[in-house]
Amino acid sequence: MGKGERTKTKSQSARDKIREQQAAQRARDQRKRVITYVTAGAVAVAAVGLGWWYAASISKSEEATAALAPVTVQADGTAVMAKSGVTAPVVDIYEDFQCPACKELERVSGQTFKNLAAEGKAKVVFHPITIFSQEPTKSNSVRAANAVRCTADGKQWLAMHDLLFDNQPSETVEGFKVDQLKQWGQEAGADPATFDQCVTSQKNAEAHLAYSKKVSDEQKLTHTPTVKLNGTEIDNQVLFSPSQLRDEITEAAK
Amino acid sequence: MTASQPSPKARTAIPWVTTVARLVLGGVLIAAGALKIGNPADSVVAVKAYQLLPETIAVTVGYALPILEIVVGVLLVVGLLTRVAAVIAALLMLAFVFGIAWAWAKGLRIDCGCFGGGGQLGAGQEPTYLLDILRDFGLVLLGVWAVRFPPGRFALDGALGLGGDNRDDEGDDD
Repeated sequence: MGKGERTKTKSQSARDKIREQQAAQRARDQRKRVITYVTAGAVAVAAVGLGWWYAASISKSEEATAALAPVTVQADGTAVMAKSGVTAPVVDIYEDFQCPACKELERVSGQTFKNLAAEGKAKVVFHPITIFSQEPTKSNSVRAANAVRCTADGKQWLAMHDLLFDNQPSETVEGFKVDQLKQWGQEAGADPATFDQCVTSQKNAEAHLAYSKKVSDEQKLTHTPTVKLNGTEIDNQVLFSPSQLRDEITEAAK
Repeated sequence: MTASQPSPKARTAIPWVTTVARLVLGGVLIAAGALKIGNPADSVVAVKAYQLLPETIAVTVGYALPILEIVVGVLLVVGLLTRVAAVIAALLMLAFVFGIAWAWAKGLRIDCGCFGGGGQLGAGQEPTYLLDILRDFGLVLLGVWAVRFPPGRFALDGALGLGGDNRDDEGDDD
């Protein structure tokens, strides 16, 4: 081996070494990048998951705990749900059977109202009203409110109330049709002999609209659902969070 | 990149345009999410008002949408995972464009619920579908730009070496 040749090999191997080191460095960098990327992605996905879980958990509905408190229908068309002797705190629910947010309230917090009444912790008063002034929503709302007034007792009233929200029609079509109302009336246990006639003739429509106007003016209602605890409106955030709602109402009971 | 090399001027300008696109799109998403996140029920009602999704899916979307908007918005603003975030943001905006167009075509009279609120409009209120669609479509385009030219200036992706303008020679399929 000549001297020159050896030098050549030497520089060759040095160059290889450098190249190897560079490759290793690149691989390390690449690995670091992948780790950073995956970590950032995982954190972002976790944040979305956590936020979703939080939203779902604050909106989590209660389970039915006990038999329903007795419901008594009042002369003005409202219905009181309370154990006998419970007169406070008073929870007034102003709702429209056609209003989607009212349906949402029913879905999220309806059971909490029922449970609190059943536990004797509140006197719940349902006030069905009609807030819509345009068609088809106005007539839908009035037909539904008329039908719930056609029921014969509190038990039927509440069953009908729940059925109406469960079957709320779209706001763009004619819904709560007479035939549907008759059928739900039967499901709620109403006697078709009297109920059907009452639904068809819209016997209570005028009384309902009159009450609706009166109570909206008196209570200065601007939107539904409006829920008042001893006369003070409950904040929406509390209203749609069953556990906070329960706390606020039980606190008022003390 | 098979197209002809952009002129030096364009090469300087493109990353800055991306930065602006990121900030605008991210900012809008953060604002939209923040205005909705405190009230999951409102968000659910707004989603349901479109009558586009089945009940249970609408509820899930209503709960998840605000936080998704915020997270994607923050990623865009700081320029982290820019390309992925921009893809999601662009798809979100495209979905909104579709949703609003659907509501319009079906003759629904709703507030888009884009920035909280939402649901049926009262008497005397008129929907602003065209404006909403144009705005969201503009945001789709910003998203597409950020997908094509990530991550722009002032991006964590750049600082962390996570692809983008400092790796021009490696192609753009990272």
